[in-house]
Amino acid sequence: MADPMHQFEIQKIAGLPELAFTLPGVGVIDMSITNSTVAMLLAATIVVGFLAITTSKAAVVPGRLQVIGEGVFSYIDDLVAGIIGHEGRKFFPFVFSLFMFILAMNVLGLFLVFTATSQLAVTAALAVMTILLVVGYGVLRNGANMYKLFVPAGVPWYMLILVTPIEIISFLLRPVTLALRLFGNMLGGHVAMKVFAGFVVSLGAMAAGGGLGMLGIPGAALSLGGVVALTALEFLVAFLQAFVFAVLACVYLNDVVNLGHHH
Amino acid sequence: MAAETTPPPGADIRAGDTAAHGDHVPAGTTEVAAHGSESGGLPQFKFEHWGGQIVWLFLIFAVLYILLAKVFVPRLRKIQDNRQATIAEAVNQARSVQAEAEAQAKAAQAEIDEARARSRSLAADAKAKAAAELALSQKAEDERLNAQMSEAEARIRGLRDQAMSNVRGIAGETAQAMVEKLTGQKVTAAEIDAALTAQGAA
Repeated sequence: MADPMHQFEIQKIAGLPELAFTLPGVGVIDMSITNSTVAMLLAATIVVGFLAITTSKAAVVPGRLQVIGEGVFSYIDDLVAGIIGHEGRKFFPFVFSLFMFILAMNVLGLFLVFTATSQLAVTAALAVMTILLVVGYGVLRNGANMYKLFVPAGVPWYMLILVTPIEIISFLLRPVTLALRLFGNMLGGHVAMKVFAGFVVSLGAMAAGGGLGMLGIPGAALSLGGVVALTALEFLVAFLQAFVFAVLACVYLNDVVNLGHHH
Repeated sequence: MAAETTPPPGADIRAGDTAAHGDHVPAGTTEVAAHGSESGGLPQFKFEHWGGQIVWLFLIFAVLYILLAKVFVPRLRKIQDNRQATIAEAVNQARSVQAEAEAQAKAAQAEIDEARARSRSLAADAKAKAAAELALSQKAEDERLNAQMSEAEARIRGLRDQAMSNVRGIAGETAQAMVEKLTGQKVTAAEIDAALTAQGAA
């Protein structure tokens, strides 16, 4: 039986040329195609394919597929407009890409043996990218007024001594929590599924031995039920975590877009 | 980002901890423990794989973002805008058609009202004319009848006068004859006449 952590191993796809380059100050970057790369490429391809199919006809009265595509589009569009307001439209492509890409990687992980979003490198890169966009746009738009992010308006100065460090710490923790939430959910879910699946095999093997080992059969059945239930739960988690990531990206963007005035 | 290539010492310890937990979870088999010690910690914390994954992720995400931002989002936005425009246009058209129908109905109503008023005035005129004609002809008839009546009356009066004068003549002659018979005296017609007139006057 397999180690429940084995599914998270990065493995190079055999037979493909090894690629690598040296990034000054960082070191050698191994660009070989791995199972992680394949999962990401596949997810992006699925997103593009899905959107291409659903928008190919572009009818005023939509067909079934177009309804699905437009539904997802409107769902995220309403989300962005609802959180950021009318200025949110320029961030919509980013949030939409983020949501679709994470959702595709999460769901793909339930069908394939590898989940890209269970790699901390991937979730951290996504989180850092989001926060860099927030900070970059915030500085570009607000300039020196960015300090207001850490100094809430209408708070007396003696409270600011306490509030400002808390605000700074919470801002610095945003990329960390963003990365760890997605990573932890995917890791935990897939480990739990693998463990329960492992119980089915090992208890089944015990039962095959006969005698008292036959007691393993109800245990194996129970574990199988657990795997089925967990799989259903993981579909929910796959969607929910993609959604949460998109919502938080919107919330963080809103902080710098509408800096100083709450709406 | 610096942590991606050079793992901090803390990461190793944490990774080791998790691995120990990972070994504990599938306690049912011994094979797992062997595998676990072989892999040594969470595979996610093997930082030699981070660089490639991150660069690939950025590349893939950049392509995805550009495709979405330049192709699919505008396309979907256009579909929805088109639909909204179509619906708005249809609603406007329906509204204008409705307004037109209402205007036509109003015009028709006005026409009907006008026609009704015209017919009413026509009827009133006809009635007045008929009444006037009637009155005129009645008056003429009345006049004619009155004339006839007065002519008849005059004739009757003439006849009566004539009859009356005849009566006087007869009365005179009778009186003359009676006086002659009674008295044997001849009385002239003039004397009788005078006596009659005196009698009539008394």
